[in-house]
Order: sequence, then C-alpha cells, then structure tokens
Amino acid sequence: MTKRFGIRNLALILPALLIGLTLLLDIFVIETIVEPLVYLYIALGGIFIIYVISPLYASRRLVNYYWQRVKRNRLAVAGLGFILFLILLAIIGPFLTADPTAVSFEEKNIPPVGFTLKESIYELETGQFITRTATGDWQHPLGTDNKGRDLLAMIISGAGVSLQVGLLATGIALALGTLIGVISAYFGGKTDNILMRFTDIMMTFPFFLLLVLIVFIFGANLAIIVLVIGLTGWTGTARLIRSETLSLRTREFIMAAKALGASDGRVVLTHLVPNVISLIIVIATLSIPGVIVAEAALSFIGLGDPAVTSWGMVLRAGQQTLDTAWWVAVAPGVMLFLTVLAFNFVGDGLRDAFDPRSSL
Amino acid sequence: MKETILSVRNLKTYFFTRRGTVRAVDDVDFELKKGECLCLVGESGCGKTVTALSILGLVDRPPGRIVGGEINYDGINLVSCLPARMRQIRGREIAMIFQDAQSALNPVFTIGDQIVEQIKLHSEKSHRQAREMAIDLLKEVGIPSPDEAASYYPHQLSGGMRQRAMIAMSLSCDPRILIADEPTTAVDVTIKAQILDIFQRLKESRQISLLFITHEMGLVSEIGDRVAVMYAGKIVEIASVTELLTNPIFQHPYTSSLIKCLPGITQERERLESIPGTVPSLIDPPSGCLFHPRCAKAMAICREKEPPPVNVTKGHTVFCHLYSAQGMKK
Amino acid sequence: MKKTWLRDYIIRRLLYAIIIAWGILTVTFVLVRIGPTSPADKYLANLAARGQDAAQVIAAVEARYGLDQPIYAQYLNYIGNLVQGDWGWSFSTSMPVIELIQTHWIYSFQLILLSSIFAGIIGILIGIYSAVRQYSRTDYIATFFSFIGISIPNFWLGVMLILLFAVQFGLFKTYYDTSLPLFSLANLKQLILPVITLGTGMLAGYTRYTRSAMLDNLRKEFVRTARAKGLPERTVIGKHVFRNAILPLITIIMFDLGSIVFGGAYLTEIVFGIPGLGRISFNAIFADDYAVVVAITLIAAFLILMINLITDITYTYLDPRIRYD
Repeated sequence: MTKRFGIRNLALILPALLIGLTLLLDIFVIETIVEPLVYLYIALGGIFIIYVISPLYASRRLVNYYWQRVKRNRLAVAGLGFILFLILLAIIGPFLTADPTAVSFEEKNIPPVGFTLKESIYELETGQFITRTATGDWQHPLGTDNKGRDLLAMIISGAGVSLQVGLLATGIALALGTLIGVISAYFGGKTDNILMRFTDIMMTFPFFLLLVLIVFIFGANLAIIVLVIGLTGWTGTARLIRSETLSLRTREFIMAAKALGASDGRVVLTHLVPNVISLIIVIATLSIPGVIVAEAALSFIGLGDPAVTSWGMVLRAGQQTLDTAWWVAVAPGVMLFLTVLAFNFVGDGLRDAFDPRSSL
Repeated sequence: MKETILSVRNLKTYFFTRRGTVRAVDDVDFELKKGECLCLVGESGCGKTVTALSILGLVDRPPGRIVGGEINYDGINLVSCLPARMRQIRGREIAMIFQDAQSALNPVFTIGDQIVEQIKLHSEKSHRQAREMAIDLLKEVGIPSPDEAASYYPHQLSGGMRQRAMIAMSLSCDPRILIADEPTTAVDVTIKAQILDIFQRLKESRQISLLFITHEMGLVSEIGDRVAVMYAGKIVEIASVTELLTNPIFQHPYTSSLIKCLPGITQERERLESIPGTVPSLIDPPSGCLFHPRCAKAMAICREKEPPPVNVTKGHTVFCHLYSAQGMKK
Repeated sequence: MKKTWLRDYIIRRLLYAIIIAWGILTVTFVLVRIGPTSPADKYLANLAARGQDAAQVIAAVEARYGLDQPIYAQYLNYIGNLVQGDWGWSFSTSMPVIELIQTHWIYSFQLILLSSIFAGIIGILIGIYSAVRQYSRTDYIATFFSFIGISIPNFWLGVMLILLFAVQFGLFKTYYDTSLPLFSLANLKQLILPVITLGTGMLAGYTRYTRSAMLDNLRKEFVRTARAKGLPERTVIGKHVFRNAILPLITIIMFDLGSIVFGGAYLTEIVFGIPGLGRISFNAIFADDYAVVVAITLIAAFLILMINLITDITYTYLDPRIRYD
C-alpha cells in the first residue's frame, strides 16, 4: 500500500517540478529551452502514470485476463501490431531517412519502386519537348513529389506528427472529460445541471468550423492545434463517464469510503476514477482516430503547422499534382486510413473484451 | 374417449451451443384431446416452454432445432410442414400466451392495433369490423371500458390488464388450441385467481383445448383435466388430475416431491419440503433415469437403465423403475 | 392538455436554442475580433493598392461599418442588425452576407440531402439484413466494410475518387460546374463523386447503428409474439422489430448529422470545389471576411440546435412510453 502511494506521489511531484523549473527558465532566460508541447508531454505523462499505469500494474491478473480476451479478436491484434509498428516508425524512422524537407528539382516526380512513368519535358537547351522515362528506385522507395522531396521521409515525419497530435489531444480531452463527467455525476444537483448544460452547448458548436476558425486566428501551430482539439473534444467523454459514474456512485465501496470520512476529492480521485479506467481506455482508443483525421483535415485545407511535415500536408500537395504524380496523394492517405482502421479495430476489440455480456 | 386434436410423438428439440448439445426436449410423447386442459408441469428449465415453442415452430434457429419426432395436428405433421402453412396455423388455429405480457407485447403499438393486426391477418374483415371485434374480446376477458383500453399502449396498463389483453389477442381468431406458458407467473396473487377464472370460463364457453404450462402443482388441480410432469427434458408421468392427486400409490417420486413442495395441500402444519439437489445439466445428463441423483427411492437399476413407460392404471403412465417389470424383479 | 404540454415544451426548447445560439454568436464574434489581424486590414490594403489614399478611405469605411466604435458597441450593433435581418456586409465578395448565403446554401443542401438519402437507404437496408443474418458470411462482410467506411478519411476518399474516375478514366469533370441547372441530370452526374465521398462514412455508420439497434430488439420477446400470431417474417422484422429499433437510430443519425456530416460536407465542398456554405466560409476565413464567417458558424450552430429539437419531438411521437409519461 505504502509503496503504491510512493509511486503516486513521485509521479505527481516529478512532472510538477519539471514543469515549474522549465517554465521558470523559459520566463527568465529569454531563449526558449523547450517547445510548448513538451510541457504537455510531461503533464500528461504524469497523469498517465498515476491513473493508467499504476492501477493496471496493481491489477496485473485482471489485465492478463482482458488481454486473453482481446487476443481472440484477430483484427484487434493486427491493429495493435500496426500501431506498434507506427510508433517504432515514428521514433526510429527519422534517423534512417533523408530530410523530408530537402528540395531537389533534379529528382522531382520519381515514381515509387516498381513503377515507371513517361513524361513530356520541355528541354531548355534544345527548346523542344522530349519524352523522359522515370523509373522508381530504392533511393526513394515511395518516390518523390514535384519538388523532389522524398515521400518515404515525409510519410515517416507525418507518422510522428499524427501520433503526437492524436495522443496529446486525446489525453487532454480525456482528462477534461473524465474530470467533468465524474464531478458532474458525483456531486449531482446544481453542479451536474450546470456542467451538463455547458456540455450540451459545447456539443452544439459546429466542431470543425470552430477548429478552422480558431486555428486560423491564433496561427497554425501544432501546440495550438492540439490544445484546441483537446479543449473542444471532451464532450462525448464527459457524458459517457458521467453515466458510468452515476451507476458507480451508489455502490457499496464508494459509500464505505464516504462513511470512513474520505474527502470528496479523495473519493473522486482514488475511488471513482480508477473504476472507470476501462471505459476511459476504450474511449481513448476510439477517439484517437477522430483527432488524427481532424489534424490531417486541417493540414489538408492549408491550416497545418508549416514547421512540420504532416500527412494532411503531403496529401494537399499530392492533390495538386494528381495528373503528374498520383502516388503523392495515395501514400499519406493510405497511411492515414490504416492508422484510423487500426485504432478502430483495437478500440472495438477492447470494448468487447471489457464487456462482461459479450461471450467472445 | 375424446378425440385427439394434437399429438406429440418422440419430440426431440436440441440446442447446439458452443459448450455442447443441450437436450432441452428429449423424446417427449403426449396427446391433447379436444376440449380438455392438459397441464405441463415441472421445474423451470425442464423443457416445458421449449416443448410449446416446438409445437408452433418458434424455437430460435440457430441454436435450436427439432431433431426428431412428429407433432400431428389435423392430419399434418407440424415439424415438417411448409412455413406458409405453419403461419396459417399460428395464431389462427393454435395460439399462444406468453409468460410475461409486459415484454411479450410490442411497446410501440396500442393494444387494439396489436389485436386488430392478428384479426386482419387471418380474416377478410375490414379495419372497423376488426376493431369492434377487438373491443368485444377485451370485454370478454374482463377489461373495464374496453374501447378506451384498446387505444392504450402496453405500458399504460397494469400487469393483470396486460395479461388479459394478451389472452384477448390469442383468442381473436377463435383458435382450436391455446397454449398458455405460465400465464400467471408474472402477476400477483389476487390477479392470478382472476386470470385462472378467465381460463376456466374459456374452457366452458369456447370448447377450446388448452395446453397449460406451469411450475405450480397447485394450479393443476384448479384448472387441469390431465397432467404431464416433465423433468429434465423428459416426461416422467402422465395421468388425469384426479388420479394423480388422489392415487399416490403409483406416483413417480418426482411428482410426489413436487406435490410435497406445495404448502397447505395436506392440511397439516409441517415444514415445506424442497427437492434436494439441482436440475441436472442437459448437456451431460446422468445415466439411466435422469432423476436418480435426487431420488430418495433410487435403486441400482435406476443408474443403469432408462425407465420404460409403465401403464399403472388406465390413462396413467409412469416412467419409473419402481413400477417397471425390471425394477420389480429385483 | 396533451397539445398544450407539447407546445410549451417546444417554446421552451426554442428559447433555449436562441440563448445558446446567442452564446455561440458572441463567442465567434469575440474570437474573430481578438485575432491578430484586423478584419478591415485586407479591405483597406486592397483599396490602397488601387491607388487610393488609405488614410482618407479609412475614415469613410470606419464610419460606414462602425469599425471606429469600441468592440461592445460594434457587438450590440451587429446583434441589432441581425434581429432586423441584416447579416452584415461581405468585404471579399462585395455583397450583403444574406444574399451570399441565399445563393449558396442550395449547393450544401443538395449535397447533404443526396448523401443522406444514399447513405440512409442503403445503410439501413444492409444493417437490417446483417442483423437478421447475424454471424452469416454476409454479416461479416458488411461489418468489415462498415469498419473500412468509418475509417476512411472522407477528404482522401474524395481525392482518390477524383484521381481514379476523373483523372485516370476521365468519366467526370475534376471540378464542380456551377453553370449547370440545379435540377438536371448533368448536375446529378457531377454530384455522384461528392455524394460517394460524403456518403461512404455515413453509410458505414448507419449500417453499424442499424445492425446493433436491430439486434437489440430481435431478441426481445415481442418478436416471438409477433411470430406466434402467424405474421410473415417480413412483417415481423420490418414492422415489429424495426419500429422499435428506429428510436435509438433516429437519435444517433440526427446527432451524426450535426457533428460529423457538417464537417464532412465542409471538406467535401473544398475537395470538389462545390460553392456551398462550407466552401464560402472557408474562403471567407482566408479573406478575413469576418461577417461571413460569423454568419455561417451561427447558421450551422442553429441548424444543429434545430435538428436536436426536431429529434426530441420525433422521439416523443415515436415512443409512446415518453409521450404519456
């Protein structure tokens, strides 16, 4: 018991210290040391350790039981495999490929390996059109775009962007949604009424229009995109968690905790939140793809962070060269599609595994 | 001797599940005579409902399937007859009342509409005629202000009223056979008596043949003419009600214990008895007589051989080694 | 008494909708105004580029649009005009916002309407079939394809459809032609790809929702009663089960309309160059044409509110358990 609280406190204090220190440095030393996203990483990492890793570790046998159930769903396992592959790709990939932003006009519009392309080119010296045959080679396995950038490098860079946005924004949205949902259900009455009305209003907002508007106004920056998606995307989570908590609220162990004199905050954080963790995991897995697609859509319409190469951006470039270099539009979309599919498979598998009614 | 209207011969309805084959109804044999009330009695899970559903071809498939036997009605075998013919029989010639009217009635249609739907399905009546008929039926089963009740939704009626409406619906096409599956289980005691009363009257006024399924021995004496006792998918005893209740000498041990479970029937203040043990698994049933693990009078042969039917008196058949030739020998 | 109850309910909900719409209007208005670029900057820059003296026109413009007043006065002004039916002036297109919306809403409407019909009919039919034949091969195939349909990002699907059917096979034009009459076969033909783009995700969603709603009700006991009546299977499924399944279905389909379909239509219009409200709003954002942005956001929010209201009323009508309690 004491050991677990030790881990908890450490996980809470460490990120807080780190954030405080770097913030101070950021403010007083004029040069920015870390990017704003790093703060988010640390904060969410702390929450993740306290509320996901530690309870999961505490109930290893249960986790193992659920894993046995998930394993029976072949699509979910395949999805999980793809997600792991994607994470590895995003971490290791950049060290193995060329710079995704390196422009080289001599190497433009090279098709992927296994494809050849005939192209009419206006030759400056002779003033005539000549037919050039471009063949894909292993130098650029997925080919290049109309500026000669390596498509594979861009795809790998995009994987990192998508995963970051997906995980961080979902993390914020889930933390907010869980807090609002649990508080709303636990306190009930007026608090519940106000919070749920507010959720209703948020749900009425045309989400994507709002996203476009805010990102346009405050600048296309990855941190802003993450924040906006996170701060607007919590409504569904809040509702689900609220109804789950409502059914938990009257259960004996909550009553017992209250009877033993636990404070409201303690009951919420140490008794209610850990008990909705399985629901949170399912919601997380199923909301990550929506976030990834939202970011890709933003980049696709030209509101992506220009400092990074994301799938949506590559797709946007590809759309403009559909008649000369079709592969530029195909590759990022395929990756986006597979990523979303993988998360959906895993989420569905987890939901079935957690559902005591499903026979599986 | 009355004419037989429905005969069930060697009926076997199995459910094929992941865990194995459930022999819900295994080799069941009985006859329903014209105008009589046959009670099918047994603990829950003994196959009473599945027997009833098999007659109407309503066993969910998959996982269930009728794997053998015949159900003869009016010269046709219902097990093998065409779906179109089966549909004509359902509701019109053989109607069924389900245990829980609350869930058996469709919540989004009015009582009247649900009755009218059945009348129009099996006759050429106009909507207005059907509606009038529905109201008459509601009146017949004792629903106060029936024309108002016809426009109510199921949730607006009380439990007893819903069950009456259900009965009215089943009667709408004047069926020859009515199967009632524990129609009094989901209602309270006071209403139970009223519902039983309705069945009593129906038997007299409509000359309907009734297959009454129940787990309460107490109801049997009130409404039944004959009784078939079921245990673990098999019939263990068939007799007339008077024979069964007044002639305990040739009773099947299971029937005896069912009767002993009844409060107040012997007028002596003893402790209520219960049958030791539980209903056996129908996937992996015990050998020999299925009741032997719980039977106080079990003999060695009971574990080995399935008991044959023994005609102890006229119209009284018991499946028990106590009365079989082989059992007597030892 | 029943009637007045419903009327009061609708009035209450409408008031609620107006209050929320007002809140959204305020948020959008403020968001646009606190942005780093002033909305009038581009307009002024344009004027200056045409050789006019910027300082001179500034006064004229500010006086004309009230931009010299403090933000709360502008806000009150805007609301006052809105109530009178004046939605403001679009800088970038030089026409009243209301006129802009009047000419362009039909493009969004036809896209969403056709996609809903396409997705609704096919999705619900597949969903019913899939549920009735649960665990059959057809069910597995339908479930698998609905997964794919839900996962495919619609703007990429649009680009791929253009690549395949317009660029490679030359079956369609790559861009939407506004000169075609609205009610013509040619217009319908050029809407095929956009409708597939927007409709695929909807179709997949409807298939899944219908399947699970049907499965929930197929196991209910009243289905057995319906069969025991002698009803043909078609009536049992199509009337007794579907009529119960449609209740949750309506809620979720309407909810999707507000949250997913509007965003999807926005992107589809951009991909195919359809000049609907989404595209107009998108262009307006890049042109700093705030009046258009606020107006369209407000319209979208109000539509969502209305859809919610209609859903609740329909639900009340379809579910007798709610109607009489």
